[in-house]
Amino acid sequence: MPLPRWALALANDNGRSGSTDAALASVISLSHLDERALVAEAQAGSRAAFEELVRRFDRDVLRLALNLMKRPEDARDVYQEAFLKVYRNLHRFRFECSFYTWLYRIVTNVCLDHLRRRQARPEDQAPELNSGLHEEGITDFFERQREKRPTLDPERTFMGMEIKARIATAMERLSPRERIVFEMKHYQGLKLRAIGDALGTTEETVKNSLFRATRKLRHELGGLR
Amino acid sequence: MSAFEKSVSCKDVAPLLVFYACDEVSDRERKQIEAHVANCEGCAAQLAEESELQEAMIAAPQPADELDSSGILLSQCRSELAETLDDLSAPPIQEHWRPLGWLRRWMALRPAWSGVVLVLFGIVLGTQVLPWLQNGKNGNANGQAMNVMAKPPLSKDQLDKMEIAGINFSPSSDAGSPNVQLKLSAEQPMVLTGSVDDSDMRHVLTYVVENGERFDAGVRLDCLEALKAVSRDQQVRQALIAAARKDLNPAVRMKALESLRDAASDDDVRQALLDALGHDANPGVRVDAINVLVGSLQHRESEETAPEAAPATSVVKPASPEDDQSVERVVRALEQLQRRDPSRYVRLRSAAALRQIGPREVQ
Repeated sequence: MPLPRWALALANDNGRSGSTDAALASVISLSHLDERALVAEAQAGSRAAFEELVRRFDRDVLRLALNLMKRPEDARDVYQEAFLKVYRNLHRFRFECSFYTWLYRIVTNVCLDHLRRRQARPEDQAPELNSGLHEEGITDFFERQREKRPTLDPERTFMGMEIKARIATAMERLSPRERIVFEMKHYQGLKLRAIGDALGTTEETVKNSLFRATRKLRHELGGLR
Repeated sequence: MSAFEKSVSCKDVAPLLVFYACDEVSDRERKQIEAHVANCEGCAAQLAEESELQEAMIAAPQPADELDSSGILLSQCRSELAETLDDLSAPPIQEHWRPLGWLRRWMALRPAWSGVVLVLFGIVLGTQVLPWLQNGKNGNANGQAMNVMAKPPLSKDQLDKMEIAGINFSPSSDAGSPNVQLKLSAEQPMVLTGSVDDSDMRHVLTYVVENGERFDAGVRLDCLEALKAVSRDQQVRQALIAAARKDLNPAVRMKALESLRDAASDDDVRQALLDALGHDANPGVRVDAINVLVGSLQHRESEETAPEAAPATSVVKPASPEDDQSVERVVRALEQLQRRDPSRYVRLRSAAALRQIGPREVQ
């Protein structure tokens, strides 16, 4: 199987070899490096090491951005801005926390900036996601019949769509910081301490944010059951 | 139920249920909550509600699942980031050699100052540098004259084919011979500039006078005016004499006679003046010849009586036998004109000239 072009580019950028085998060896060696070694390589100027770091974390970063921003173009902006900040400031990273935490601190700051800017411009609010409650608006019959969940139970499918719509509405009631905390806790699976590190605050503060967020959501979703 | 468990009330447990449901309580808190919930239906129901809510939210599809279910957006983001990094990794432009790169950067960052600097630069260039450069090119030349010399000298063939497109004068800085600018329309148009003392310039001007039939009368007049300053030159003098005798235009002949004024005491010039008196068909030319002749005689008288002031009605007195003969010839010619010239004005001017010269006995 031929080596992907990006892999060859990575290897060549690393300056270790011009041949296919050597490039493959270089990529493989990078993928086996731990986070600390990769960061050190990237800080030394290795573009390939930096791109390997990006590939290890960017899926979660984009997911967080999509969940928070709810618009692909905004999420793409967050992705670009965050990783460019990482690239420009990597030399300042002193291993006082994990790279993951440092990365998320940057990403959450970028997200907060975007969310605050959006709040300041009401006309720039994110559109409501396509929910099942509006399905009657879909004109295509087959689109209307499309399976949204792995289950074939139509009642459960409908309930899922209803819950999703109500959750989306309820999430809009949260402040940007509360939304990020809730997202990082429940969808990214981070511990509150890690969230505090990422947001540059204490665990207690994060706990308060999560508590307020949950109370608001419960109030909004009171009759969900 | 232990004393420890009894001490925990619903009020203490309620705020912790949120964190218990998401596994964010300490071991001690966990034991307290579990012990309390086991005996409190209200808190147990609240915990169940909390857990159900969190499970529902976690189970609900997230925006990311819909917005990038195929992973295309992630690929696009990676590609865009790689392109941006390529741009950032490219060698900075200033590493290449760029002339005045620092100036361009400075100007790009300060547009207002750049405008002021450019305007000042233009003013200095226009008022100081360009005139200085022009002075350097012209050397000692003044005015409009250009220092384009006829090098190598024009050949006979070139002279035969040339046309005069224009002629300009400019006074000399040292009151000597004037500077002349000649625009020639030859096979290769050229501009000759220089003093009439320059042999090449004099050669061209003399050629125009000698070959008057080929050139415009105005050009011939200008050339005669220019050559007046060098009428003592033998070649120039011969050309002027020829023009005074042969040129078809009476104005040119008059101009030629005037140009010979400084050399009017020379025999060949005087003979030309006498010929004009006797043979020129134009009365104006004859009058002009009279004036030049009388002027030359008075000029010589004034030179001989200097430094004493010459009387207003001075009488011309020959100094040598040759001069005496020459003056007598002039007197005879004037007497002839006084009696026979068809023009009354010429006759009157001749009589006046005879009175200026003084009574002479005609041999």
